[in-house]
Amino acid sequence: MHLFIQKKWPILIGLAPALIVYILFAIVPIVISFYYSSMEWDGFTEMKFIGIGNFLEIFSDKIFWQSLKNNLYVVAASIFGQVPIALFFALLLYRKLRGGKFFRTVGFMPVVISTVIISLIWGMMYNSRRGLFNQLLTATGLDEWTQNWLGDPKWAMISVCITIVWQFVGLYLIIFLAALQNIPREIFDAAEIDGASGFKQTIYITLPMIWETIIVAVILCISGSLRTFDLIYVMTSGGPGHATEVMAMYMFDQTFSSTRYGYGSAISLCIFFFSLALIYVSNLILRRKTV
Amino acid sequence: MPEQVYHNILVQNKTAKVKKNAKKTLIYLLLSIYAVVNIYPIIWMVLNSFKSNIDFAKNPFSFPKEWLVQNYQTAWETARLDVYFLNSLIVSTIAVIFTVFFGALASYFLARISFKWGKYIYSFFIFGMLIPIHATLVPLFLQMKYLGLLNTHVGLVLPYIAFNLPITVFILTSFMKSFPTDIEESAIMDGCGVFRIFWSIILPMTRPALATVIILNFINNWNEFSFALVLINEESLKTLPLGLANFAGQFTTNYGAQMAGLTLAIIPTIIIYMILEEYLVKGMTAGAVKG
Amino acid sequence: MKKFKFLYYLPVVLLLLLTACSGGGNKGASGGSSGGSGEKIELTFWNIWTDPSPQNEASLKQVEKFMKEHPNIVIKQQNIPHDQYKVKLKTQAAGKQLPDLIQVWPGAELKPLVDGGLVQPIDDIVSNWDGLINKEYLKDYNIDGKQYAIPANVVPTSLVYYDKDQLAEAGYKEFPKTYEDFKTLVKKLKDKGLIPIALGNKAQWVLQSSYISTIGDRLTGSDFLPAVLETGKKKFTDEKFIQAVGIIKELSEMGAFNEDFNSIDNIQHRDLFTLGDAAMMIDGAWSLGPVLEAAPDKNIGIALFPKVEGGLGDPSAVSAVTGTGIAINSELKGEKLKAAKQFLKGFYTEGYFKELMKAEILVPADIEAPSDVSPLLKEVAEITSKKIAPVYDATLPTEITDIINAGLQEVSLGTMTPEQLAQKLQGAVDKQK
Repeated sequence: MHLFIQKKWPILIGLAPALIVYILFAIVPIVISFYYSSMEWDGFTEMKFIGIGNFLEIFSDKIFWQSLKNNLYVVAASIFGQVPIALFFALLLYRKLRGGKFFRTVGFMPVVISTVIISLIWGMMYNSRRGLFNQLLTATGLDEWTQNWLGDPKWAMISVCITIVWQFVGLYLIIFLAALQNIPREIFDAAEIDGASGFKQTIYITLPMIWETIIVAVILCISGSLRTFDLIYVMTSGGPGHATEVMAMYMFDQTFSSTRYGYGSAISLCIFFFSLALIYVSNLILRRKTV
Repeated sequence: MPEQVYHNILVQNKTAKVKKNAKKTLIYLLLSIYAVVNIYPIIWMVLNSFKSNIDFAKNPFSFPKEWLVQNYQTAWETARLDVYFLNSLIVSTIAVIFTVFFGALASYFLARISFKWGKYIYSFFIFGMLIPIHATLVPLFLQMKYLGLLNTHVGLVLPYIAFNLPITVFILTSFMKSFPTDIEESAIMDGCGVFRIFWSIILPMTRPALATVIILNFINNWNEFSFALVLINEESLKTLPLGLANFAGQFTTNYGAQMAGLTLAIIPTIIIYMILEEYLVKGMTAGAVKG
Repeated sequence: MKKFKFLYYLPVVLLLLLTACSGGGNKGASGGSSGGSGEKIELTFWNIWTDPSPQNEASLKQVEKFMKEHPNIVIKQQNIPHDQYKVKLKTQAAGKQLPDLIQVWPGAELKPLVDGGLVQPIDDIVSNWDGLINKEYLKDYNIDGKQYAIPANVVPTSLVYYDKDQLAEAGYKEFPKTYEDFKTLVKKLKDKGLIPIALGNKAQWVLQSSYISTIGDRLTGSDFLPAVLETGKKKFTDEKFIQAVGIIKELSEMGAFNEDFNSIDNIQHRDLFTLGDAAMMIDGAWSLGPVLEAAPDKNIGIALFPKVEGGLGDPSAVSAVTGTGIAINSELKGEKLKAAKQFLKGFYTEGYFKELMKAEILVPADIEAPSDVSPLLKEVAEITSKKIAPVYDATLPTEITDIINAGLQEVSLGTMTPEQLAQKLQGAVDKQK
């Protein structure tokens, strides 16, 4: 934040278009849905005001807490899976490497594919009878390690998380690449002269320079993983039991299957506050590291 | 003895070279595994798009027994690709352009200019990233009905812009903040206005991030399903994801045609990525103030 | 830099383009009714006839036929895939923006629409189908004494498909008559290295709709569900129901199903059966057409779930539900209402039912099957004509259906006992009162 402008009107003009569209078509619907959270409504008949009734129910709803726990798995997998892996490959790929462009493009492909394909093929690979993974394990003599990856409640969430991580690594890859490109060459030249090279260079120079971007990536991870829906919906529908049910799916179910708009909206509100809390906390933790 | 020293240096250089080559080979090995893991699903999808249902059920992982090119024709017809494709193209592109334009403008002010409400407005945009979109389906529907924008492309574009603004602003702001503070100073001394600085100096420097958000926005809009399902009834206005969903009935699914349709659907996304790829890896280019 | 200048003008150009396109779209919509100076009546109609199955083809053709016979009525269809139909319907219902004609599902799915006053009864034209449609089948679309739609097909949800050859190899020339014998058959098939029963319960409704609906009935009798829901005379915690759930647990524990039964869906389990990996499959009548198409040379037999010792139910009962009913929007009146009623009369005709039978669909009509209908369909029609048991998800309120769907999946995995599920269900019922 650098410039101080005398007149205020340029700021207004600059922010206005984005703010107007955003408020009208995102904030207003959100606020309306939060309004529903104080109601009992099935979408067909009249609404009934029940104040915080929905929230009290959420508090004692075992399935909701299960879905919250599942979401935390996704958040952890994203932050500790997607970010480091993307960072690793970004560091490999941003120097001049033969075929660098090819690898970058290929790395991005999973982001582009539709979730239907991803869930179909990963579902088949996880299949306990004919799937790729179990077949590989059997072929290398590791029979006892074969699992019912998607059908066993113990393993289902982990399997799904792996797929989610796989899908989005490419996205963070290009974000990190863009940030790495931004570091001026002069800094590396100066470091070479000082005698630092290779690994040392990475840790002490590169990483701190893109720390802001890493924070951005982590926040994107958190917000994305708390809203994750598409992939899990097609892959396991939240099953077996509720082993892979995440909050956004539970909300969707309550709203459109059980037709309890009020309850569903209350769940959305909880998702919102929970995300906010998590981001706030991670922001605190991460920003302390920036000197 | 000089020869001894010379010999030692040669040996040292040789071992250094061997080490370097080993390192390089390892890197390429890792990258190749990474590439295969990422691109395999696409290859799988394309191969399977030529199979019949029975072939797919029997051998999901092998080459098609018969290459059914007519799957593509079936896909084109069932998913009404001629109409839906164009609609998706129009809606996605327009939404992306407005989102990025409004977003960049707003990000500039939030990142480079200090003013009283700056921090709050920034947080306000971030909130938008935390809402599960299904919660807003009903309110948005009611809103569009009230505004008479149901069954119009405009009615779809506006929510697309609104819901993509948070992530756009988030990424662009972070990127713009990382520029050195003295960039604008010389321009101001030359008497440039705020908007001129935005357009001619900051925006070009933001190219990698702009490319990132353009790709991201395009993918989000291209694959977006829920809003399109609910806000558009008119056949001639429907978007691609709606057409692609036609393949999976309740009790029957034409997998081959579905894969054909999905293959066709990812082509534009890949094209857009290819076009923007070079911008992703360009660093700070000419036009910036040299150190 | 020059590139960016171009982009600056692009939004303006595109905005114009956009308005033109939307305008075009709107014109398309109004074109239908403004061309109505020749008094054309336009009715909007939602259905799920998207995937290219023979049943959908027959239905779509029927609509075309109607429009040819009534050139002054135009039916504007919207085909929405089944999985998304619910979302769209509920969203638009909340905004009171439903089409003129809506495809509806019977029982528990129809009730909210009736309660919300969104559809209107068609009692005045029901007599049109006297003698054609068996009155028993009209009940599913009848709420509180008023009729809201006419069924086009009858769907038994629980048929045991079996490979006659594979069963003969295991020593069974005839399908087992009792549950105990059935279990022995399962063991014998397993010993031969086959999957006894193919099951794909990923979506959770299969164990409920195809299994417990009939197995429950075998043990509790057909008056069980109404007694639980309405009079409270029976409860889910009754011994017979728990025993029924116990059967599912038993089958799962003895390895009757394929190992991945909770991670594949019902379409994939059908593949297991048609490819010969599994000797049997418990599925609905909707799989009849696809199975015959995928494996025309397979020696297929169809039976009902065998009798269970100590059961209160009729062993010849099968859970079935009617489907493909079309309801009329409650806001329709005058000319449009007349046209809508005409459509219903012109759609559900004997000809249509015959076409459905050719597509291997059972119909609620008392008519002669056309000659080119497969003998298997006739067999199915025969064994399902004795007694109808209610299907759980058509009778129970959606919340309770959700509990039983997820619960049965857990019971099959061993993470929930039948007693626990029974308690959960009864708890939900009590809460509703």
